Amino acid sequence: MTQARDPQAASARTEILLSEDLRKFYGSRLALHSLSFSLEAGRVLGFLGPNGAGKTTAMRILTTILEPSSGRFVVDGINSDQPEKIRHKIGVLPEGLGFPKQLTAIGYLTYFGQLYGRPSGDARRRGLALLTDVGLQHRADSAIGTFSHGMRQRLGIARALVNDPAVVFLDEPTLGLDPRGQQELLALIRAIARDRGTGVVLCSHLLSEIEGICDDVVIMNEGQVVAKGTVAEVIGQTQPTQRNAIRLRVPPTSVDVARRALEALPDVELGTPADETSGWLAVQLVVPDGESAAEEYRLKNGILRALIDADVPVLAFEVGGGRLQDVFLQLTAETIL
Amino acid sequence: MSAPPVTSRVTEEAPGSARPVWWLVLKQELVELWVGGRVLNFLILFSILMSITAFLLATNNELSLVPLEQTVVVALTAAITFGLFIGLIIAAESVTGERERATLEPLLLTPTSHRQIIFGKFLAALSPWPATFALAIPYVATLSQGEPVLWPALFWGAVAGTILSIGFIGFGILVSIWSDTSRISLFVCLLAYAVSLVPSQLPTEFQDSPPGTVLAALDPVESAAQLLTKTVQDGSPLGQVWSYIVAPVVLTVLILVLLFWFAAPRLGLQAGRARSHERVPRTAEVSA
Repeated sequence: MTQARDPQAASARTEILLSEDLRKFYGSRLALHSLSFSLEAGRVLGFLGPNGAGKTTAMRILTTILEPSSGRFVVDGINSDQPEKIRHKIGVLPEGLGFPKQLTAIGYLTYFGQLYGRPSGDARRRGLALLTDVGLQHRADSAIGTFSHGMRQRLGIARALVNDPAVVFLDEPTLGLDPRGQQELLALIRAIARDRGTGVVLCSHLLSEIEGICDDVVIMNEGQVVAKGTVAEVIGQTQPTQRNAIRLRVPPTSVDVARRALEALPDVELGTPADETSGWLAVQLVVPDGESAAEEYRLKNGILRALIDADVPVLAFEVGGGRLQDVFLQLTAETIL
Repeated sequence: MSAPPVTSRVTEEAPGSARPVWWLVLKQELVELWVGGRVLNFLILFSILMSITAFLLATNNELSLVPLEQTVVVALTAAITFGLFIGLIIAAESVTGERERATLEPLLLTPTSHRQIIFGKFLAALSPWPATFALAIPYVATLSQGEPVLWPALFWGAVAGTILSIGFIGFGILVSIWSDTSRISLFVCLLAYAVSLVPSQLPTEFQDSPPGTVLAALDPVESAAQLLTKTVQDGSPLGQVWSYIVAPVVLTVLILVLLFWFAAPRLGLQAGRARSHERVPRTAEVSA
């Protein structure tokens, strides 16, 4: 019988997924250059990168669909030279997964449970439990052809869990979902890591979702890892010029008052954003090199204080470099341009 | 936003044993082919074609243009030919269709033998053949007009049709494994099907000449047709007709060996690129 993952035991373990210097050539083209990272049990790792960065190649290598040209990876103690054994340890939701439309949801999960070696009755019970987990228990006997896109994604996640995997790979799981569906699916992914002690590798273009639920991040560009670490560590890699750029929004009727209040401040330069008519203002802090972070915070608080003193309602206050998106754009700028 | 807690414990395992992968794939494929209505559509088409063929043959027979035995052989050959077409179409899409519907990847991600997956698909694609043959029986029985020619006709028809179906379906799946799209695999399979029917359409003079005889012996469909003619129409004993079984059997065996020993283990997401270990180029090549 496939053993259940004990969340406590799993979280005590380290490096449930370890990638060491993975490289992949397509002919003479190097598609993946020295991919190294690790993932601990119960944590969610975000895999980011622009199109063509090598994410899909990396995912396909880590899920044993492709063989690396060199390097290795280890899943739950099993080395990459044993792909059959690794397939017992991983669950995958590929991007754009297709489904047999005639089959019912429970029939689909039972089928895959059996492919992993479970007897029919056990596979069905397991399937029903997973359908409950993903909120589809009331549609267990419905044909998959009648499911919405969001329901199919949930079913795909349930399928990825039929073998009680140590690591789950999710490739663009929220693609094509409405905002509510995205939020629900992300909460489900977080719960999978939290409650099952499963390591989750989440590949996505939506930086806000990565930032919201991931513990760790790997950013790739042109086949190389350009940043990795916890979300906070990666965000901390932004350039000072980005960190000192602030966008704030006030009511359009208060723009002039706000500008006068900000112009009066020392070490602050006002820019002209394209959308000033809707109340947005761009502010750049002038922080000399070598100044401490405390000085940055003092200046930022000074801006807020000046606006409050001028009786200007602050509708939004965005600190540059404070989001994963800023780091992503900075690190992948050449590709995007 | 918080989600409900996810099951962290696997439920107790029920008594019972795991089924072999090929059996699971076969069941799944049968549901898609038969419940999905695809085979039924083909069977309706088959019935229509057989009805037209039988009507024409019966008319000719009544006018004494064609002897009864030959009528039965032509009807049987037609049934086998139409049956091969159905099996070939289903086989040609068996892998490429899954690639296009993005249902192959989850299957490849399971720790299962690719050979068993292909074997399950092979049996499923073979499943319409008994149905088409069963549908052909009333037509052949009617055309035989109660004469004893019916029983050898059914026996040899079943033998020749089964051997050819196995070979053609194996070929169709082979092409499907090595094709990126269903369009390509269907084109190649239909081309091969058309080529296999060419020798029977050649002038009688050529068919009777030595090159024609060789060609007939090499072409499995023509060989099978000759086998039916010799056994059913001419009443030749097996000792005199065994050479006509050689081509279909040899070709079928070769195709099955190629399919299960070579192609099936290499089943991949892309045609012919299953977990291929790409060559690591020399440093100079990379920098160039």
